[in-house]
Amino acid sequence: MKRLAGRRGLVALIALAAAAPSLFAQGPDPLAKLDTAGRALVRSLVDSARAEGLPSEPVLSKAQEGVAKHAPNPAIARAVRTVFLSLRQARNTLGPKASRDELTAAAAALQAGIPASALADLRASGHGKSITVPLVVLADLVTRGVPRDMASHTILQLWMGGAGDADLLGLPKAVEQDIVSGAAPGDALVNRARTIPIRLPPAKVPE
Amino acid sequence: MTESERDPNVEWIAREARRPVESSAGVRARVMDAVRSTPLPVRPRRGMGWLTAPRPLALSPLGSTLLAAGLVGIGLLLGLAVTNRDGRLPTEQPTAVAATAQLPVHDTLQVHRFELEAPHASRVALVGDFNNWSLAATPMTRSADGTAWTVTVKLPAGRHVYAFVVDGAKGSKWVPDPAALRAPDDGFGTANSVVLIGQGSAT
Repeated sequence: MKRLAGRRGLVALIALAAAAPSLFAQGPDPLAKLDTAGRALVRSLVDSARAEGLPSEPVLSKAQEGVAKHAPNPAIARAVRTVFLSLRQARNTLGPKASRDELTAAAAALQAGIPASALADLRASGHGKSITVPLVVLADLVTRGVPRDMASHTILQLWMGGAGDADLLGLPKAVEQDIVSGAAPGDALVNRARTIPIRLPPAKVPE
Repeated sequence: MTESERDPNVEWIAREARRPVESSAGVRARVMDAVRSTPLPVRPRRGMGWLTAPRPLALSPLGSTLLAAGLVGIGLLLGLAVTNRDGRLPTEQPTAVAATAQLPVHDTLQVHRFELEAPHASRVALVGDFNNWSLAATPMTRSADGTAWTVTVKLPAGRHVYAFVVDGAKGSKWVPDPAALRAPDDGFGTANSVVLIGQGSAT
């Protein structure tokens, strides 16, 4: 009896030792450097994102980014909450079928100050195509100083005109060159957009 | 109590016990032969014999605890050896490979080459949402001419946010990729970059 118990104990020990690497592989808590309230907030927002069917990785990633950048706890909490609320607004704007990339790009565009109506216009004119690229380019242009309305209108026109992803992705670099050369960001965008061949809708014939 | 007052049964047992044992003359010889034919106890084995010889193992509660602690400790050390600081297995990390950017690896992973001009840097690391913003996960390599730092990593398709951490004479500095798309304000006062993998051409 004693021998059987001892053998079972030894098997349990070996199993524990074998499992230890995989237990350890789960790693230290990435949020360990946050204070208790910050950790609780992040976990709560991650759980909420999952419960609402939103991607939760961007929420956790923003907290990890803040920790890596040695940001103070209140700033991390603020940034994480902003990401979560932006994702929620993005999903409400783009609809439940929006992909993860569309949602994260739309959330970033909203954080850049792009109005939700501009996102909805892009979605409506996308004919089922992914709008990740125009959203990412739109957010980029605004961060380079292009006025939001002008950026939104121009990208929408290009998108509706059938501009390709490569054309849109080439815009920011070209606009930046013009800005460095002294052009106003808005003018730089308009000028560069004119060089992209698009199929504009037929103009209305004045009566 | 005198001899005559003892119990007769006791008297009988005592008498039988005092009587010498009678044995045949050959018994002594047979017993001694049997003793001589019995092999002597085996001397302790050496080498592999000692290692493989079965023997009972008895452990006290304290000894069992120490053995358990030792085994778990070995397991943890093994875990430490096969994982990185952020707790992910090496296979989960963006892996540096020598390849041209945007070669398809399989359905969901593509290799992408990151490059930064930083001739005065002593060390540059790539950090982003694909490596949990770990400063140690993806160090970059200085180019042969010493002006640029590069790393090629496997990334899943999609939108990724990243930055470079440049160590120089004035300490560490987070910088965006000047050749990439820009991400909006990160909320922490530094700028990030965006790369789109598998959508149009990567930027």
